[in-house]
Amino acid sequence: MSATVTVLAACPPGLRPVPLLVEPELGHYPEFARFFADRFGLDDDPFRPPAVVAVDGRPYELTFLGRSGRPFPSGLELAALVVDLEPLDVEQADRDLYDLVCWILDGVGPPWSAEAFARTADIFRILARPRD
Amino acid sequence: MSLRTIADLGPDIAARYPYRSRFVGVNGWRMHYVDEGPPEATPVLLLHGNPTWGYLWRDTVPPLLAAGYRVIVPDQIGLGLSERPHIASAHSLDNHAANLVALVDALDLDAAVLVCHDWGGPTGLAALLSRPGRFAAVAVMSTWAWVEPSADFHHRVVPWRTMHAPVVGPYLLGRQAAMPGRGVYLSTVDRERYEATGRAAYEAVTATADERRLTWQWPRWIPLSLPTDLAADRFRRLEAGVAGLRLPATVIWGREDDVFSIDAVAPRWHDLWPHAEGVHPVTGRHFLQEDSGAEIGELLVDFAERTLGSR
Repeated sequence: MSATVTVLAACPPGLRPVPLLVEPELGHYPEFARFFADRFGLDDDPFRPPAVVAVDGRPYELTFLGRSGRPFPSGLELAALVVDLEPLDVEQADRDLYDLVCWILDGVGPPWSAEAFARTADIFRILARPRD
Repeated sequence: MSLRTIADLGPDIAARYPYRSRFVGVNGWRMHYVDEGPPEATPVLLLHGNPTWGYLWRDTVPPLLAAGYRVIVPDQIGLGLSERPHIASAHSLDNHAANLVALVDALDLDAAVLVCHDWGGPTGLAALLSRPGRFAAVAVMSTWAWVEPSADFHHRVVPWRTMHAPVVGPYLLGRQAAMPGRGVYLSTVDRERYEATGRAAYEAVTATADERRLTWQWPRWIPLSLPTDLAADRFRRLEAGVAGLRLPATVIWGREDDVFSIDAVAPRWHDLWPHAEGVHPVTGRHFLQEDSGAEIGELLVDFAERTLGSR
């Protein structure tokens, strides 16, 4: 991972969420849901505002989803936070998403890792993967 | 979503898959299919898996038509030219199998030959068990119908489990389109031919992240002996039901298959079906139709004529 990912305490003002992806089902590998619950204090306050992380200073929003009969969070929406009505830089967002996925995988821990993700991305020649 | 047909995909694709697009409602979704050959002839139902569509069978269809069979090739809901439900729960294994039940009921198929590849196996065989009277013979290739193990490939962290981990799936296969182009490319033998005649047809129907949804959702239903497996119960019932089938059966496999290997996975079919023919090896990896589609068609004609009689 080449970027720095930090968790922000609150969403900076004047930003517009632009949806990037929806993960409807965290439950098939529940350690992912546990990571998000622990990292963002969801057990204490499941109704808190969306979490905000920054990738090299660029903010992204994580909105956690619940589903009847499933542990919370059961899914998440991931959005870029863009100033006012400015257009999204899609290529930058895809590169940032790559780093964000690395941060999540390393946070969840073995067998998941940014290194395994990089090898997988290489197999599929994912253009957003940063070159070493 | 607007209605698209094979002709809308351009002259190259339409020339290689020169059939009339038809549509049928299944459980409230719009399913695309082709239906060629004499209506009164023995029907052969060709089922694709992930991330392909009916086009996968383009070289298999002509030998069957030349032999006088009726050939039906649906696009599974969520792929090809069929409707793409946005609701995740629409893509359960049970719902996909039920869509095929609805199809064979709608077409009123009788004494059909079921031909299954990849997810066409679990879905098609579940449909067959629901409607046993509609089928007379079955052929399987690079597929499975049991709980465990699916294949060693599916237990590896790189690439399989990582590809389908939460968030990674919708990123890698949704936004970054890992499967339809590169994924199929890696699972063919003659990759130049695939680039020339296959890739564009798969990418044409998976052009947006939205259209690629099933490519990352479907694999999550493969059981891996984890407590959180989504479809272990369905696979247990499927395995028990399939083991009791004694329809004429044949097993066709790609020699170079590195997803469901010919040495490890293909023989399991003979454990379930000691009476089955094969294994008939052909040139091919997981998407063996890309390399040996016409040969597979000839094998199916030979199998059907010997077991069901000529049509």
